[in-house]
Amino acid sequence: MERTLARPSRRTLRLGLEALPFLLPAYGLFLLFMILPVLDALWLSLHREDLFGRGREWVGPGNYLEALSRPEFWRSVGLTLQFALIVAPLELLLGLLAALLVYRAYPGVALFRTLFFLTTAVPTAVAAVAWGWFLHPVGGYANRLLVTLGLPPQPWLTSPELALPTLAVVTAWAGVGFTAILLTAGLQSIPEEVLEAATVDGAGPWTRFWRVILPLLSPTLFLVGLLVVLKSLTAFGQIHLLTRGGPMESSTVWIYRVYQDAFFNFQVPLAAAEALLLFLVLLLLAALQFWLLGRRVHYA
Amino acid sequence: MRKVRKLLPTYLLASGYALLLVLPLLTLLSASLRAEADLYAPGLLPPNPTLAPYGEALAKFPLGRFLLNSLLVATAITLGVLLTSLLGAYALTRLRFRGRELLFGLAIALLLVPGEVTFLPLYLLVDRLGWLDTYLALTVPFLASPLGVFLLRQFLRTIPEDYFDAARIDGAGHFQMLRHVALPLSAPALGALAALTFIGAWNMYLWPLVVTKSREMQTAQIAVNFILNEEVARWNVVAAAAILVLLPTLIAFLLAQRAFVRGIAMGGLKG
Repeated sequence: MERTLARPSRRTLRLGLEALPFLLPAYGLFLLFMILPVLDALWLSLHREDLFGRGREWVGPGNYLEALSRPEFWRSVGLTLQFALIVAPLELLLGLLAALLVYRAYPGVALFRTLFFLTTAVPTAVAAVAWGWFLHPVGGYANRLLVTLGLPPQPWLTSPELALPTLAVVTAWAGVGFTAILLTAGLQSIPEEVLEAATVDGAGPWTRFWRVILPLLSPTLFLVGLLVVLKSLTAFGQIHLLTRGGPMESSTVWIYRVYQDAFFNFQVPLAAAEALLLFLVLLLLAALQFWLLGRRVHYA
Repeated sequence: MRKVRKLLPTYLLASGYALLLVLPLLTLLSASLRAEADLYAPGLLPPNPTLAPYGEALAKFPLGRFLLNSLLVATAITLGVLLTSLLGAYALTRLRFRGRELLFGLAIALLLVPGEVTFLPLYLLVDRLGWLDTYLALTVPFLASPLGVFLLRQFLRTIPEDYFDAARIDGAGHFQMLRHVALPLSAPALGALAALTFIGAWNMYLWPLVVTKSREMQTAQIAVNFILNEEVARWNVVAAAAILVLLPTLIAFLLAQRAFVRGIAMGGLKG
């Protein structure tokens, strides 16, 4: 079978035509709406438009150099990094805690699974509104709780220092369901015998977690972590709804910069350059993820 | 009895944690059941529960239209993805032709392209096609999914050759084998993909934000943004609108939780 694959005969070429109606819908759409737009963005990013968006002039790497020389751009890159550095550990920790509580079967586990996985079904806009109210300066429960505890209320979304970390918490919350599902699957793939053997050897829950579960889960944790970073680098809806990139651009992350430059500053080629730079970073991370996945699958 | 005592810490911890996670949604629900005068009244339970905010939200905003738009868009995308993925995956597993591995590799490569980054050139393309502010812009670019092709290909590979051979002996062509063998056997994978795709499409935010202009074309997600802007002081009405937007996905999730969880576990770890 493998040999006929390597050396196509006339029959396989005929089958090639036969495959066309099966392949065309998916791959035609990929070509038109994924591959062409990326090439178009590349083309666009090498040009500059005149003031009325009419003529296009070739500027080579000009837009990239301009993007890279703007302090606003670097600020948004830094903010994106900060954002991801809060979201990823927090979301992993929250998700891991949830997964540890539900990965084994016991009476009532289905209910807890539903509750822990629930945020995957909450649309970004609804999550943003729920948190907008939860963090409301006057009526919000977050501040009411602080006041009850004798602490001063906080300007969660309205201070340049707090806005980005607050958005990161909202993002981690919205992602808990997703990470919990993946980590539950990861925990369930740890062989039961390994855990039993550890118990027989006298390991308590704490030792079992640190010495057995965590080492065996670490490849999964790393992959899920990468996935969470990738997602957090393109977080948009919650930022658009809750802070509009403010206050004082303190939450204008990379993707928000692209949106801002394209749709409000009308610098489309510059925005395309910024988008492609982000694309490059995401692609590198995704390639890393895939390479690791391939290795893991290979050695498993 | 001993078992319950052993499980007690788990129950307590899990209940406490679940409550903490669901708290923002509970406060939203609470706000949606309050009259404006009670909005800032303490406690999680509304002092004088009322459905009035829902009535107001429904009267002031065409929420039905927004929800219908989301439903249409998400359904069309889901059906499209199932169809195109199944066709593509069938060719990648059952047909032999030059470049087959290359095309599968392309699907994997495209899997890594995040939609949030291509939205700008995609917007320009859709603009040139004259599709802005139409259902076409909201659906057509998403009718095929590299993840769908990838997942279904992996799944179809697990179906034994014999099943197809039996159909072939009965004189079935490829479309018939797809229809009568591959389709019924991949029901679980299709269900998982459908659940994943539907909620993903329902949750789209950035794309509908940039391609819709008129209120009639807005999806529920974008509508929430506009309602929040217009009713910024009346959080009970905003909350009611948000709860109404949450309900369809919540119900879909509760009904198809298994398929959905399986979809994420497959797409996340294996993709």
